[in-house]
Amino acid sequence: MKVAVKLYAVLRCGRFKEKFLDYPSGTTVGDVITDLKLPPEHVDILLVNDTHVDFEHLLEENDVLSLLPMVEGG
Amino acid sequence: MRFLTDKPAVEPASVLYRRCTVDLKNGDMQMGEVPCLNLEDVLGGFGRSFQLLEKREICDAYVDENPLIVNVGLLTGSHVMTGMRTYFSGYSPIKGSRKGLPAAMWSAGSGKFGAKLKWTGLDEIIFENRSDQPVYMVIREGNDGPVVELKPAVHLLGLTTHEKIMSLQKEYDDAHFAVIGPAGENWQNVYAGAVALSTENQLKSKEDKSRFAGRGGMGSLMGYKNVLALVAQSNDKLGSTPEPVKKANVNVIKGGGSARLQPIKRGGGGGTWAAYEVLQAFHAVPVNNFRPQGNDIPERLFRSRVEKSYEIKSEACYRCGITCHNNIYKRKEDGSAGEFLAKFDYEPLNLLGTNLGLHETEQAAALIHLCDNYGMDAITVGVTVAYVLSYNERHPQTPILNGITFGDFDGIRRLVELTGQGKAPEIGRGSMRLSVDLGETGYAYHVKGLELAAYQPETNPGYIWAIAGGHMSMGTYGMLAREGKTDTKSWVEAITQDKLQIVGFDMIGLCKFFDIVKGIGTAMVVDCLKAEHGVIVTEQELKDAVKRAFLRGMALEFRQGYDKDEFCLPAEVTESPNPNIKMPMLTTPEFLAELNEKVWEVFDREMQELL
Repeated sequence: MKVAVKLYAVLRCGRFKEKFLDYPSGTTVGDVITDLKLPPEHVDILLVNDTHVDFEHLLEENDVLSLLPMVEGG
Repeated sequence: MRFLTDKPAVEPASVLYRRCTVDLKNGDMQMGEVPCLNLEDVLGGFGRSFQLLEKREICDAYVDENPLIVNVGLLTGSHVMTGMRTYFSGYSPIKGSRKGLPAAMWSAGSGKFGAKLKWTGLDEIIFENRSDQPVYMVIREGNDGPVVELKPAVHLLGLTTHEKIMSLQKEYDDAHFAVIGPAGENWQNVYAGAVALSTENQLKSKEDKSRFAGRGGMGSLMGYKNVLALVAQSNDKLGSTPEPVKKANVNVIKGGGSARLQPIKRGGGGGTWAAYEVLQAFHAVPVNNFRPQGNDIPERLFRSRVEKSYEIKSEACYRCGITCHNNIYKRKEDGSAGEFLAKFDYEPLNLLGTNLGLHETEQAAALIHLCDNYGMDAITVGVTVAYVLSYNERHPQTPILNGITFGDFDGIRRLVELTGQGKAPEIGRGSMRLSVDLGETGYAYHVKGLELAAYQPETNPGYIWAIAGGHMSMGTYGMLAREGKTDTKSWVEAITQDKLQIVGFDMIGLCKFFDIVKGIGTAMVVDCLKAEHGVIVTEQELKDAVKRAFLRGMALEFRQGYDKDEFCLPAEVTESPNPNIKMPMLTTPEFLAELNEKVWEVFDREMQELL
């Protein structure tokens, strides 16, 4: 199945901004994070089609997965 | 601090801190050891200062009876990473109730002054009354304890914060400094004066890289008292780091807690600046007085854009491995770093950049530089200027303050300069007073008189219950973006339990980045306290002390005349919902009414014995 993956902020470094990727059905958000070798300590906000999900969320054909780091103030 | 017990939560009176009370009217000083009343007294910072403030009946910030309390936390000056905090407390010139009474307030800053102060042997200074001549205070370590002296400061008058620090550095070796700028000196017209704290980097590089205790106008209160600077002179007191603290420090750096704040080249997230990119994904970066437009305009101040033309150096506070500072320099022809421009943190960058319609690096940097050098809170100044720009947009035929508009850099810069010089009280006295004078309060982005940090109120109803500024005293500002929670139960729990724990860092002497998610009620802090001071405190005792201190702060708000209807977001948020923000709309009248009812159910009950 095709999934659009969008990366933000530091997660883009050395990777990409947006890409369509092929995954087998049954793929979870966590699987994509592992596949892209994203540092887990930086992946904080997980959105599928603009809705918050968790690492175990099952992806579906044409989903848009957005991965963002934590928002932090100081 | 002197510990005659190893159980400070059970026997707080057996913990003594050293306090110097100075009567600025006649120069009298009283030095003594004070037994603690409870664990929050032991921890220090606002946990202690608010217990003194609640004993005073203060009707105006600028009266002699309003003390300025300067203190540190239990872990300030310790081996624990980020243990650099100094706290300034008093009744605030800027934060106040509709009845006109000033609110109790504290402000915290890093830099090395706090550690140096602690190493002189002094834990707290209380300034009473005011001096009729400008003075500065020198605190030294003597053979029999700290030695304190007041000195004439006429030669410092009018100097910027950086100039004052550079001037004092020539006179005092091995010292660090806390100073006000021209804004604080012009306290009559600037209620948003900040206190600048010197850093090692600043003293070595001679560049204006102070840290700031910015919120609440504590620099203006210091200016009212005619105290222009504090000098803490002592040897550095850190020997080898105890093993448990070493372990905690490594955990702070490598355990993931601070990873997002560390330099990108070290695999980190690049400091608070990264919030620009995260919030822009939701179109929730404040633009033109907190009205995001649903376009890509905030991207012009993204780090990836800025670093194409400027050098960005990752630098740190003394002995801090988090290295969260992003200092911006002009780039020389040979590609090396040239002139230092400013430090880019998310809040000042947004509020003196995108939220004013300014999208050029050097323009935002120039305004940050001005606020730093005049010694003003960038948040209050930025938000109040944004209010003026939005007013002029709504009233093109009858604008105020020379009719400046969003994006008018020259006009805005001039207004910021005039503010720092005390010549633009409309800005210097903050958005609450200006909006009341103009009769358009709904567009003023403050809660309870203190301007909002750079997080859209639509995303953070927790602002309403913050007791000392929206992002430093209520950790809900990123909750909607991070968790997407839209049910009242989650928000009530966050506001009344977990997210208020952020204020614990403003007691104990550590920066919030030590563990911003969990607060100070953790095994890591318990281990550090045992290793540093030999005391045994539980995680729950720490959490309970933080909660009591928070509730005391809220009770003090009511004591200073706040009505519950002042606990509210700016009216524009509910009256004219912004359709561009791509997050669930939390701030409907219905949601806010339900949240109010449920949060007050908890806080009313918990505050009962404090009111």
